Amino acid sequence: MQYMNIKYGTPFRIPRRLGDRFKDIVSIRGVKYIKGTGFIIENKEALDSINKILVKMGLILKPLINCYICGGNVDCDECTFNKSCHKAVTHCICKTCFQQRDLVNIYISKQTQMIRRLIGE
Amino acid sequence: MLWTEKYRPKKIEDVIGNEEAKQEVVKWLIGWFTGNKEYPGVLLAGPPGIGKTSFVYALANQFNLHVVELNASDVRTAQHIYAKVGSIGGASTLDAFTGSGPRRNILLFFDEVDGIDPKADTGGLSAILDIANKKEVPIIAAANFPDPVKHKDLLNTFKYITFRPLTPRQIIILLKRIAANEGIAVSDELLNNIATKVNGDARLAVNLLQEASHGLDIDITLTPMENLPFEELIRRLTNSYNINEIRNLLNSNSNQIEDVFYTYYDLITRSNNTSFEDKVRLLDYCIKLNEMFGRMNKKRSFYLFRYILTLMPWFIYSANRAGIVYDGRIPAYRFKLFIQNRKYRDHLNEVYTDRLKMILHESYRKFVTETLPTIKFIDIKDEILEDLLTKVI
Repeated sequence: MQYMNIKYGTPFRIPRRLGDRFKDIVSIRGVKYIKGTGFIIENKEALDSINKILVKMGLILKPLINCYICGGNVDCDECTFNKSCHKAVTHCICKTCFQQRDLVNIYISKQTQMIRRLIGE
Repeated sequence: MLWTEKYRPKKIEDVIGNEEAKQEVVKWLIGWFTGNKEYPGVLLAGPPGIGKTSFVYALANQFNLHVVELNASDVRTAQHIYAKVGSIGGASTLDAFTGSGPRRNILLFFDEVDGIDPKADTGGLSAILDIANKKEVPIIAAANFPDPVKHKDLLNTFKYITFRPLTPRQIIILLKRIAANEGIAVSDELLNNIATKVNGDARLAVNLLQEASHGLDIDITLTPMENLPFEELIRRLTNSYNINEIRNLLNSNSNQIEDVFYTYYDLITRSNNTSFEDKVRLLDYCIKLNEMFGRMNKKRSFYLFRYILTLMPWFIYSANRAGIVYDGRIPAYRFKLFIQNRKYRDHLNEVYTDRLKMILHESYRKFVTETLPTIKFIDIKDEILEDLLTKVI
C-alpha cells in the first residue's frame, strides 16, 4: 500500500491511471478538479470517500498538517481532540508546542513574524 | 460588554487560525497597492463565527485603511450600492481634507454577499461586480456558503479564499488569551469542554467562556446550537420540552424557521399519538402562523419576523406536549427541496402530483396546497395509494 501526503485546499495529482474512477472521484462533494492543476480536497468527509475508491488501487491519501509554531508534523492520532476535530486545516499546533507554558505569546509572535515578513519590514 | 466585541482583533496577528488564508489576503492586498490588480477583490468563504469579518477589520487597521462596509442589514439593490459606494473613485477619505486626520485609502467590504436576495436586492451582485471591475478600490467580500450557480460571476471574478473553522487547540489558545486578559482562572477541563463542543466556532467559544465566567450554568448551551443541519435541528426541537431551549434553538437557526414550521405542520398531520382535539388546536395555530409567513414573504414585511420568533417556540412547545414525534421522514410535499435522489423524487412526483391530480381534475397548486395535506391527514400509506392509482389508471 502506498501512502501519499496531501494538504486540504491545496491541489495535488494522483499518481495512478484513474480511468472510470475519475468520474466517481470528481462527483464526491468537497472534491474539485482543476484541469492542468489537479484535485483539491475540501474536507475530511471528502477525503474518506476518495480513500474508499483509491484503496482498491493500492493508494491512501493522508492529510498533512504542520505545526504553526515549530513547523513539524502534527499527528492527529495522538491528539486528545481527535474525535471532535474537523481536521480540515493545513496548520495546527503539535503536542510538544501545545504543552509550552507561554503558548499564547509564542503563537502571537509567530504571527507577527509572518506579517512582518510579508510586509517586508 | 460582550467579550466578542471587547476582544475583537485589532491587528492581523490577533486573529487566531487560518494562517494560510490570512497570508493570501495580505499578499493580495500588498499586490493591489503595488499595481498588481489581477484580481479586483477577494471572496472570503467559510462558516460564521470563524473570524472573517474580524480579520477584514484587523487587516484594514494594520494597513491604515478606512473600511466602507455593506452588510446583510443594509438594503443592497444596485441603486443603493451605487449611491453608497459607487462614487468612491478617489479611493481616500475626506479626513485629510477636513483636517481631522491623515489621508486614508478605502477598503470596500461586502459582508454576507450570499445573502443578497435576487428579488429584493435587484442588481446587487451585478453592481458589486461592476464596481470591482473598475479596479479603483480594493474589495473584500465575505460569504458563508457561496452558491456555485448563483454566485458564478463573483466566483470567477474574485480571488476565492476559504476560511476554515478553528481546531480545538486553536480555540484553546484564543480562550486562554482572553482569560489572561480578564485575569480569571479557568480550568483546563472547562477549556477542553468548550473547545470540543463548539465545532470550531470561535465566536460561540468566547460567548460560552463569558457565560461560564459569570457563573452561569452552560450545560444547555454547551451543545452547539448555531447552524445545525436541518434534520439535527428538527430532532432536537422534537426532543425538547424546555421552552427556553426551544427558543434558543430557533433563535440560533432562524434562517431555517420556515422549513421548521412546514415540517411541524407535516408532523402534526401524520402524528398517531395526538388526539383529534389537539390536532385541531395545533392546525389552527398553524393557519395563523402560515398567514404571518405569507404576509411577511409577499410584502417583505420583515418586522413580522419578531412576532413569528415569539410565537414559534410556544407552537413547538405545545406540539411536543401533544405528543408530536419526529419519525425521520422528510415532509413529502416538500420533497423537491430536500430529496437529492432524483430517481426517487421523480417517482414521488409522478405518483403524488401528476397521476393523482389528473384523476381529481385539479390544478397543481390546489392539489399541493389542499388535497395532498388532506390525503396525508387521513394517512393513506404510500404503497396503498400507489396500488390504488395503478388500479384506477
